[in-house]
Amino acid sequence: MEHEIIVRGNIVIAGFEGDVDIHTSPDARKVLLECVGRKMPVLVDLSRVSYIDSSGIASLVESLQTARKGGSDLALVSVSEAALRVLQLARLDKVFSIYISIDAGIEGIG
Amino acid sequence: MDDSIPLKSAGPHDIKGVSGGLVLLSDMGQDFAASRDIDAALLKGIQRITDYVGAEAGALFLLEQDGGVLRCTACAGATEITGMTLLSDEGIVGRCVQTDTAAIVRDVAKDPNFQGAVDAQTGFTTRSILCAPLSVKGERIGAIELVNKADGDGLFVDDDLHLLQTLSTSAALAVLNARMAEALVEQERVKRELELAAEIQRGLLPDTPDEAFPVHGVNCPARTVSGDFYDFFPLDDGRICFNLGDVSGKGMNAALLMAKTASLYRCLGKTIHQPGRLLALINEEIRETVTRGMFVTMVGGIYDPRHGSVRLANAGHEPPLLHGADGSFVDFPADVPPLGISPMLTNGEAIPEVEISLNGGSLYVFTDGVTEGYLEDGSEMQTAGLKQVIIDHRSEPAAARLRAVISRIDLAGEALRDDLTLLVIDDAGPNAAREGPSEQPESTREAKENGAGEMVLHLKFTSQSDRLKLVRNAVFDTSLLCGCSEPTARDIVIAVDEASQNVIRHAYKGAPDGEVVLDISRENDDIVLHLRDFAEKVDVSKIKPRDLDDIRPGGLGTHFINEVMDEVTFIPLPHGIGNLLRMKKRIS
Repeated sequence: MEHEIIVRGNIVIAGFEGDVDIHTSPDARKVLLECVGRKMPVLVDLSRVSYIDSSGIASLVESLQTARKGGSDLALVSVSEAALRVLQLARLDKVFSIYISIDAGIEGIG
Repeated sequence: MDDSIPLKSAGPHDIKGVSGGLVLLSDMGQDFAASRDIDAALLKGIQRITDYVGAEAGALFLLEQDGGVLRCTACAGATEITGMTLLSDEGIVGRCVQTDTAAIVRDVAKDPNFQGAVDAQTGFTTRSILCAPLSVKGERIGAIELVNKADGDGLFVDDDLHLLQTLSTSAALAVLNARMAEALVEQERVKRELELAAEIQRGLLPDTPDEAFPVHGVNCPARTVSGDFYDFFPLDDGRICFNLGDVSGKGMNAALLMAKTASLYRCLGKTIHQPGRLLALINEEIRETVTRGMFVTMVGGIYDPRHGSVRLANAGHEPPLLHGADGSFVDFPADVPPLGISPMLTNGEAIPEVEISLNGGSLYVFTDGVTEGYLEDGSEMQTAGLKQVIIDHRSEPAAARLRAVISRIDLAGEALRDDLTLLVIDDAGPNAAREGPSEQPESTREAKENGAGEMVLHLKFTSQSDRLKLVRNAVFDTSLLCGCSEPTARDIVIAVDEASQNVIRHAYKGAPDGEVVLDISRENDDIVLHLRDFAEKVDVSKIKPRDLDDIRPGGLGTHFINEVMDEVTFIPLPHGIGNLLRMKKRIS
C-alpha cells in the first residue's frame, strides 16, 4: 500500500493506492489520524484502492469520529468498486459523505 | 615421591620388615586408588615388591580373558619381558596359577620341574624362583614371580616366600578392584547412552493431549529403551491418524527399528490417508533394510470423530478390541503377517482394511506385553483380564482407564516381563457431540467421497498477515475458475480474508507460525470453502456479528462473512485439534 498527502487550500487530501488489509491498515490508520490531527477537513481518495478489509474500514470510521469530535469533517472521494462493496456491506455508505471526485469533494466539504 | 627410602632401609628379615611390609601394602593400595591407569600402578607395584623382597627381577603375569594364556603385564629388573606370554599351565608360573598355590624353587639346578620357559625366551639365567598366585576367593587372576635373590648366595628362603604371599594377596585385591572400577565406568557410560536413547524414544511418542481428546496412549518400557511404540496426530480435515507397533526383541536393535518404523509412519501418514497402503509401504521399507529375523507387528488406522468411524489395518498384531457403548466386545484379528517378513505384502497391494463404527464405544489397541503381563498373583492378564479391567473402569475417562490397566501389571518393585503399550480411541465425547442439538453439516470429505465435489484448491499458509494478499489472489482466481462472476468472486475473497484474519488474530493470537489450511471445492452449483487452523478451540458463541447501528472500529469481519456467504458453519471438532470453518456460496 502506498499513500500521498496533498494540501489544497485548507483541505487535506489523503490518497491511498493498493490493498488496505490487516497487514497495511495500521499504517493507513496512522496516516489518517495524522491528517485528522491537522484540524482541517480531510478528503480520503479511495480511487486506487484495490482492496479494503474490515480493519481498513475501522480505521476510516475511527478517523471520521476523531474529525467530528474535533469540529472538523472527513469525506471519501472517488471510491473504487472494491471499497464501495465493503462500505455497503458495513452499511457505512450512508454514514460517510462520498463524492465522485476530488473537486466535488472540495466543493462539498470546504 | 619418597617411596624408595623406607623400603630400601627396611630389611625383609627383621622385625622392622613387618611394619615395612605394612607401609608397602598401604602405599600400593594408594597407588591403585589414585591411578586410573592400572598398568602404571601394576608396574610401580611389581617394582616395589621386587625391591622389597630383594630379588634381581620380578614379573607380574595376568591371565588373559579366555584363561588360556598368561601375559607379563609388568616387570622389574634387568630383563624387560612385558608383553611376553606363556601358556596358562606352562612353567612354574603356570603351575602356580593352576594350583592356586605359592611355590619356591630354591635352586633350579636341583629341581627337575624347572623347564626354563622364561629363560628360553630371554637369555636370563635363573638360579632361584619365588612364585605366588594372585587370586581372590578362588578367582584366578595371575601370579607374581621373583627371580634370584640379589644378595647372599642368590637363593631364596621360605621367609621370602611368605612375604611374597602376603604382598601378592594384596596385589590381587588391588587388581580386582581396579578392574571392577573400570567395568563400572564402562557400565556407567553404557547406561548414560541408553538413557539418552530412551530420551530420544520418548520424544518420538506424541505429547499427552487434553483429557477431552478422543485418542490417548501409554508406553512403559521393560528396560530403559522400548521396542514398542504408538503415535497419533490430527489430519487437516479433522480426522486423527494413529498407530501402534511392537518390534521383535527388546534391546537396542529393537529400539532402533522402533524409531525407524515410527518415523516412517508419522512422515508418510501425513499424506497417505489409507492405513493399509501405508503399512504395505512400510513393509517394503523395512524388508529392504532390516536385519534378518527382525519384524514389526503393527496396527495403523484413521479415526473420524465426525462419524465415529475407524479404518483399520492390522499386520500380525494382537487383535484390537472394541468395547461397544452397549458393553459388547468385538476383536479385529490380523489378516496378514507382521511387517518385514513377507514380500507378498508388497506386490503393490495394500494390507486389507476394516471399517469399524465405534458408535460411542472405545477401541483398544495394545501389545502382547499387556495380555501376557503378570498380575500380582503371578498369573497372566490375558484378554479376559484386560476386558475385566475395561469393564471395571468403564465410567472413567480414557486416560484413567489406560492407567488402570497399566497399574495391574506394572507393579512396584517388579521388573516388567515385556514392554507395555496401549492406545485407546474413545468415541463417547464425539458421539455425544454428533447426537447433540447442533445439526451436523455434511463435510467436504463426505461430498468428495460421494463423488459430488471436486477439490479445486488446497492452500496451506502460516498465520502471518502479509500472506493474505496471496490468499486473496488465489481465492479470486479459483472462484472465477469455478464459474463465479467477478462480483461473486470478490465477495468470496472478502469472506476468506476476514475469516483468515480471525484465525490469525483470535485463534493464533498473533503468533506467526500457526498453520492455516484452505480447501476450496466445487460441489454441483456451490463453491465450498473449508478454513482450518490448529489453534486452541475458539468459543463460537463469542463470535457474533457486530451491531451495525453501533459504529465502532473492529468486529466487522464476521458480519461481512455472514453477509456475503450463503452458509457459514463451524464444524465441531474434538478439543485440542483446532477449528474448522465451512463456508458455502451459490455459484450462479
